[in-house]
Amino acid sequence: MIPLTVEVTRRKSPSRWGMVIVPLLTVVLAVASAAVMFSAYGASPGAVLFGFFVEPLSSAYNLGEVAIKAGPLILIAQGLAIGFRAKVWNVGAEGQLIVGAVAATVVPVYLPDSDSALLLPAMIVLAAAAGMLWAAIAALLRTRFNASEIIVTLMLTEIARQLLYYAVMGPLRDPGGFSFPQSVPFQDAALFPTFGETRANVSILICVAATVSAWIFVTRSFAGFRLLIGGVSPDAARYAGFSQTQAVWVSLLLGGAAAGLAGVGEIAGPLGKLQPILTPGYGYAAIIVAFLGALNPIAIVLAGLFMAVIYVGGDNALATGQIPASAPAVLQSLLLVYYLACAFFVNNDIRVGFVRRVGAQA
Amino acid sequence: MSDALVFVLAGAFATATPLFLAALGELICERSGVFNLSVEGMMSIGAVVAFITVTHTGSHALGMAAGMLAATALSTVFALLTLRLLANQVVSGLAVGLLGLGISAMVGMPYEGAVTTPIQRLHVPILADVPIVGPILFSQDAVVYMSVVLGASAAWFLRRTRAGLTLRVVGENPRSAHSLGLRPTRVRFLAVLFGGAMAGLAGAYASTVLTPLWSQGMIAGRGWIAVALVVFATWRPTRLMVGAYFFGAVSLLDLAVQAIGLGIPSQLMACVPYVSTIAILAIVSSDIARIRLNAPMSLGESYSPAA
Amino acid sequence: MRSKLILAAAALHLAAAPALSDPLKVGLLIPNAIAEVGWDHEIDRGGKALVQTFGDKIQLNSVTGVLEGPDATRVMNKMAADGSRMVILGGFGQMNDGLRLARKDPKLSLLHLGGYMNEPNFATLAIRHYEGSYLCGMAAGFATKSKQLGIVAAFPLPEVLNILNAWVLGAQSVNPELKPVKVVWLNSWFDPTKEKSAAESLVTQGSDVVYSLFPGTASTVSTAEQLGVYVTVTMSDASKFAPKKHLCAAQADFAPGFVRKVQQVLDGKFQGDDTFLGVKDASMAVAGLNKDLGEDHKKAILARQEEIRTGGFQPFQGPIMANDGSQAVAAGAALSDKEIKGMNFLVKGVDAKIPARK
Repeated sequence: MIPLTVEVTRRKSPSRWGMVIVPLLTVVLAVASAAVMFSAYGASPGAVLFGFFVEPLSSAYNLGEVAIKAGPLILIAQGLAIGFRAKVWNVGAEGQLIVGAVAATVVPVYLPDSDSALLLPAMIVLAAAAGMLWAAIAALLRTRFNASEIIVTLMLTEIARQLLYYAVMGPLRDPGGFSFPQSVPFQDAALFPTFGETRANVSILICVAATVSAWIFVTRSFAGFRLLIGGVSPDAARYAGFSQTQAVWVSLLLGGAAAGLAGVGEIAGPLGKLQPILTPGYGYAAIIVAFLGALNPIAIVLAGLFMAVIYVGGDNALATGQIPASAPAVLQSLLLVYYLACAFFVNNDIRVGFVRRVGAQA
Repeated sequence: MSDALVFVLAGAFATATPLFLAALGELICERSGVFNLSVEGMMSIGAVVAFITVTHTGSHALGMAAGMLAATALSTVFALLTLRLLANQVVSGLAVGLLGLGISAMVGMPYEGAVTTPIQRLHVPILADVPIVGPILFSQDAVVYMSVVLGASAAWFLRRTRAGLTLRVVGENPRSAHSLGLRPTRVRFLAVLFGGAMAGLAGAYASTVLTPLWSQGMIAGRGWIAVALVVFATWRPTRLMVGAYFFGAVSLLDLAVQAIGLGIPSQLMACVPYVSTIAILAIVSSDIARIRLNAPMSLGESYSPAA
Repeated sequence: MRSKLILAAAALHLAAAPALSDPLKVGLLIPNAIAEVGWDHEIDRGGKALVQTFGDKIQLNSVTGVLEGPDATRVMNKMAADGSRMVILGGFGQMNDGLRLARKDPKLSLLHLGGYMNEPNFATLAIRHYEGSYLCGMAAGFATKSKQLGIVAAFPLPEVLNILNAWVLGAQSVNPELKPVKVVWLNSWFDPTKEKSAAESLVTQGSDVVYSLFPGTASTVSTAEQLGVYVTVTMSDASKFAPKKHLCAAQADFAPGFVRKVQQVLDGKFQGDDTFLGVKDASMAVAGLNKDLGEDHKKAILARQEEIRTGGFQPFQGPIMANDGSQAVAAGAALSDKEIKGMNFLVKGVDAKIPARK
């Protein structure tokens, strides 16, 4: 045995120092791991690290790409974080996103000639409503039948995927598209306007609005809520004065709405149509973002941006052909693992002492 | 029609085996009070490492051992995070699971799409030739029979042994277990490692026996189903066996119905396993009394003797 | 291998200053990890053929794992920004992103596999898999004893439908007593375990030849070997995975198409047209014919292949009935390339349904 005693005491509130150091340490560890990983693939770590972490911030176009990725991640993470604080585990944002996208597609498919200014708002409302509806199934089953929302939301994601396949191969398929499984390309009125030469678009405002609302929700509206964040009252039943049932409903509905909105952001944004592959796993990555951001609305923004940089940088590095396609995913999950490990040192006081033991060797 | 029935009922054993093995590991883990969501990732790691081992050594036994070892290593990361560093179990499970998926894709890249030889099915003499019952019960591979034995052993372990009792006490209330002189963190640690080993075995079975090939993402959500099955089974190994078998049969039903040509929309059929999972979950969970009776009380809660 | 290429190119760059001798940078997007057979493998092989043909006149940068989602654009753009003057898109779902890039950057030439849209600098390349599929169907028709054939396919996409129909027509042409062909749709882009079970369920229902149509992996092929039923397969000769039971493959070759289009770029004559290559262009051929097939059967298949090559035969010659009872192709008529590419019916004798015809 190691001749050390480690004494751990849970802190009443997280250490201030730690709140700065932990994210820094996490990032340093992640970058170091990336360097090791890339060297193992025979790539020069310096060049790849540059491509990974610096290049995405180097031009207006690349910044726009970061914004495109960060938008849905942050938006969904803000929605999920509300539930996670109350220990309501919505892990099916992926499915809620898909359903939101499918519902919104109905508008341009059935009104292909309309250039009404109401087109996009209608899509937004439909997407949010559909995302909420999908999450509401889980809320109903949880509150009415006590069924684990973790499993129900996961299963609903698979069902959502089949719904999407059915939609793009059946009722929402582009009749002029050689029967390929995709919808008609949306008309301009059904697309979010983009900024300049980038692909970044106005849907980012939804993300900003969500962040601001989440921030107000957390800091202003409910006194009891703040206590929760401090970790004083982890009892979900007293979630900001809500009953358990209300907490489940509020969490899932808000999470579903956010995911649905992210869905319309994709199809009316960079994709411009409904297609069988909609998301590179935003619904799951957003869970990482929510926790990397310590469920704090402002920190979630930073976490989302960092994750987006890894995505964009990963694609850049991929294009130069030096790293495998799975590298960004490994890096992103490592980031969360490191963060979870490091967070221990924020939430606890740790004293290390030596044990004197007869015959103990160094 | 009866051919299709035999196909579904006989095939369900093999289809259910990876689900059952992974779920059995998760069940033991949850019985100790730890909720480990990284099953999908652990299965993937087990699958790729086992596949690589079998490819190079030709030994299925070595492959399974290597797969179990690799997944156990990954579960150690989860155990350290949740048991030593007291991180939230749900998040840690997701993080470690995603890590496992990513690493398996990376490690398996040179082996993408390669195949290996499967192990032969055992044909129990005479009995295997009995119509209908023969192919269903007496013509499976060795791992299928082994998993049944494992399930029965786990049931016996939980009910009849002292160690099983310790595990259950820790899962019910680690604090009182501690005051009884038990060591909850160590018990939980071992339970998590067992869960990892079983998930690894499940993955190994998937990539070297059930579908003897490696391809990224081949676990295709079965780890999540395994997690769902534990609730299904209300934390009882014998019920788990029934649940896994049922799920295996339902997922084959989709294909059998198509092959018969009943003309049911195939996307609808593809949803059946998931819809039935949700439905049964709701039915089982709604019996709150039964859930209370069986669910480990401390499930998902961190425990630190110092706090 | 790749880094050597890049090094060689870099050395060339240093040595030869004039812009004229700079190699043409060609980007190649491969959607998934490269296996030993299948779509991604064949694209990769096409890329290697390019290097072999053009040597140091081109510098190929192939990238694997570019999924058909919102991210493909970024990889394309990065390639363009890094000086690629031609980009080959290996995934159908990369079409719209590629079109957008083509419109933005008229000096760039793009070649898209399997799509249907064009721009002056955006061309498509497709392979007449259905020709090889018809020939494999003949092999299946010859080989079956139970008169029951089965098909494992992912989704009822138009290209899948024309390949499927051609196979059934080929089988029917040599074996008029066939029972309705059974089809299992996987409804999943990727699940080898489900593929295997699908093949097993078809065999249980009496199929003694199965067709692995655009498989994600060799799962169906090796399952057939284990179960002792014949298997035919699209894209690549998969004999390696079923040494005894591999009946026939519709072997695709992207090299002729790739070479043709790269040559156009080198000559400054790139055209944004549709290239649809088949047996005639050495882009499609039967491969891995099983030795169990009788000599006369083999001869018949190869003779039909020769007829296709010379233009004497087209699989979709009328009259062809659809399995919903309607007439799909009138007597004396033949389907145009456009109609073949957009196929949305199943021929008579297929025991399956697809979402309603439009």
